[in-house]
Amino acid sequence: MKRYKWILDIIITILIVVTLNFFIPRLMPGDPFMYLEGEDGHIMSNFSEGDIQRYKEYYNMDKPLLEQYIDYLKKLVKLDLGYSIYYRHEVSYLIKSRLKWTIPLVAISILLSSFLGTVLGLISAWKRGSFFDRLCYFIMIILNEIPSFLIGVLFLFTLGAKYKLFPISGGFTLYGNFVTRKEKILDIIHHGVLPSLTLMLVSIGDYYLYARNSMINILSKDYIKTARAKGLKNRVIIFKHMLRNGIAPILTRIFLSFGNIVGGAVLVENVFAYPGLGKMMQSSIKTRDYPLLQGIFLVTTLTVLVTTIIGDKINQILDPRLKNG
Amino acid sequence: MKNILLEIENLNIDYFDGETPLAATKDIGFSIFEGETLGIIGESGSGKTSIANAIMRILPANASVSGRISYKNRDILKMDDKEMKKILWNEIAMIFQNSLDVLNPLLTIGEQIAETLREHKSLKRKEAEDITKEYLEKVGLEKDDFKAYPHQLSGGMRQRALIAMGLVCQPKLLIADELTSALDAKTKSEILDLLSNLQKEFNFSLLLISHELDTIASLTERLMVLYRGQLLEEGFTKEILRYQYHPYSRGLINSSTTINVYKDLWGIPARKTLEEGDGCPFYSRCNQKIEICKLERPSLISLEASRKLACHQGGILEVLRGEDISKSFMNKNGQVRACIDCSLYIRQGEFISLVGQSGSGKTTLANILSGVLKKDSGSVLFKKENSEAMKLGSQLGGVQIVFQDPFSSINENFTVLDAVREPLQINKLEDQVEEKVKEYLSRVELENSTGYLARRIHSLSGGQRQRVALARALIMEPELLIADEICSMLDKSTEANILRLLKKLQNEEGFSMIYITHNLNVALKLSDRILVMNEGRIVESGNPVTIMKNPKDKYTKDLIRFNKKNELLLYD
Repeated sequence: MKRYKWILDIIITILIVVTLNFFIPRLMPGDPFMYLEGEDGHIMSNFSEGDIQRYKEYYNMDKPLLEQYIDYLKKLVKLDLGYSIYYRHEVSYLIKSRLKWTIPLVAISILLSSFLGTVLGLISAWKRGSFFDRLCYFIMIILNEIPSFLIGVLFLFTLGAKYKLFPISGGFTLYGNFVTRKEKILDIIHHGVLPSLTLMLVSIGDYYLYARNSMINILSKDYIKTARAKGLKNRVIIFKHMLRNGIAPILTRIFLSFGNIVGGAVLVENVFAYPGLGKMMQSSIKTRDYPLLQGIFLVTTLTVLVTTIIGDKINQILDPRLKNG
Repeated sequence: MKNILLEIENLNIDYFDGETPLAATKDIGFSIFEGETLGIIGESGSGKTSIANAIMRILPANASVSGRISYKNRDILKMDDKEMKKILWNEIAMIFQNSLDVLNPLLTIGEQIAETLREHKSLKRKEAEDITKEYLEKVGLEKDDFKAYPHQLSGGMRQRALIAMGLVCQPKLLIADELTSALDAKTKSEILDLLSNLQKEFNFSLLLISHELDTIASLTERLMVLYRGQLLEEGFTKEILRYQYHPYSRGLINSSTTINVYKDLWGIPARKTLEEGDGCPFYSRCNQKIEICKLERPSLISLEASRKLACHQGGILEVLRGEDISKSFMNKNGQVRACIDCSLYIRQGEFISLVGQSGSGKTTLANILSGVLKKDSGSVLFKKENSEAMKLGSQLGGVQIVFQDPFSSINENFTVLDAVREPLQINKLEDQVEEKVKEYLSRVELENSTGYLARRIHSLSGGQRQRVALARALIMEPELLIADEICSMLDKSTEANILRLLKKLQNEEGFSMIYITHNLNVALKLSDRILVMNEGRIVESGNPVTIMKNPKDKYTKDLIRFNKKNELLLYD
């Protein structure tokens, strides 16, 4: 019985999240037909009173909130995420179409930044105090402190606008004529370079500092002294004795950042007008598109939940001390 | 003659923490022969582990090493990493001080042992595993423990695994750091047997670092005493444990309950002066220091074959030696021989007891030694000089005696002040004595107010009078204090207080003591050495443990038997 307790925990967590997702958008001023426009706080609407009334009836928004909530839960059980008011399309379809842009972008940047950051951090720790270490540390601290959009804008102005090496916006060339499939893929990659590079640079400092710290801590452990005394090769000491002990928290961190797949990309996607989920989230907040917002939030929280669980399990597999019995 | 395996010369290890270097060892030099077992003892922080780490070249980055560590005539400190890695574990291995952290928590015990075989013996995974399992069984673990993780083992099992790890590559030299410090008595004894047998089986050289004397005693042939990074004494383990030349070695060994089964524990008193110099490392705690000790570091020189010492004074000084002392009295029945050919010595800072029944000649001997009584024959040497011409009792730094009966030994009409300052005045030694009297009264834990100084002796209790007598003796700053049954007329509680006070003063001030008593139990609690007297002869001498464990003389045996009998009466 106890073994399955974690499943119950997850169900309760999801229920709480879903409830918050439902109510929070509705607590904001305005609604899908009447939303805040600009910075002066005016409430704007593109519809007449009668239209609004009709739309509300159509979307069941005239019913009491509790009833709407129960309706939403019922649909959710059937995996029906609803229908976007603004885009006039199924929410699940919209999210899927955006995820295929966001996931590769974020995944590539996380893989690169975590790999590079960890390796550099490891070498830095092993050669602590050397020129390499000091230089690396200096650069990483700076990268860590610069806000993501600033790096993005910098790339946009230099590599994009000035040297015209990369396109400055979008995920692919609009109305482009691609003869072969290969050309299309190359075009997409070309568009993806700057956003993913930006995202990578934003998070690499974090991985580097984390890995370096964690390795320095491990270097001071007695078992590293034992490993050195045993006359093992440096390679064996670094990768078998150091990395294995330091990798668990780093892996956990990587998985946790996969959870931020949507949220993490919002700023960068906006700078590069990249057609990802983050960009869509921003616009759906603006338009108070309740069903879409609920859908995006749900996907976001589910990814966080799933990756946290995976991270946890990996930790347990790597560290025999965490196994029960 | 065996070959030298490891030779260390002028080894200096300094740790840099900020600007000033902190010396961990100073000019250490020693050798280990093939198949030899060598121990290093010393308090924590004496630099023992630093030496081991220097040999293994695993000192932290902020340490600097100079000198020479030659292994098979090649200097370890000058080897490049590649050469060094070939020697490490393959030829010189180490059993680290047992803690959960010395083994990698994420790797199995077996893997951590087997990886050294794969590294140094170029074995395949399976071969390495088989040999590892063989060694696990050899150290008393099971084959299945190969798959165990460090956190799944108890402290004793982990120690066994560490031994297996140290031996698996069959090194020529094994360094063991605090092998048994965290183990209970049973496990400890098993581990000691295990390592001792393995050493005989493989005949590796062993460098054992420990502060535990029983571990040292059961595993090593030769021993070095390390203090604040310097070697003070070196010799065969058995000899050093039996007889120490250096005051530090004596203090260290006497602080052990393994050696001191009966005696109260008294550590080496903390430093008296804060003066530090380039001199002897023990200077600030030593009770027999002279000017040169502060200025110059004594070097480790040979005293006799296989025994070395670093001390400007040549080790613990001999304060008094009596040789073949005889004394007879005439009474109405004719001649009574009170002392017959009595020989004894006492060293600086030593506490010996003269035990015997009344009429055995103890008091006569004491009076002769202190110069109060003339002997018929024999000689008394004070600091190696004939004491005949010296007036030992009337000079500072001589010999003082405190008598049995506090009621008759001091003039009852004296004030406390008069009684204590009398010896100084009679001998015209000092003028400004009142301050000194006050100081000594407080040392013997008496009041030193002006009112108390003016009190008459006859108004004091027995215990107070005996304290006054002690102050009166101590004010002469004696090198040797003889106390003749000073507690026999006091109640038990006062006796306990006076004895503890006396022992405390003796330990702190470092004077030597001869305590005369008929009570063997008291002697056992107080003494470094016990002399048993019977019918005018010294029939037995030795430390409390040898006397109790292995008495040779019939009288001593009787004494112990009666003692035991009296104890049993109480608990039956």
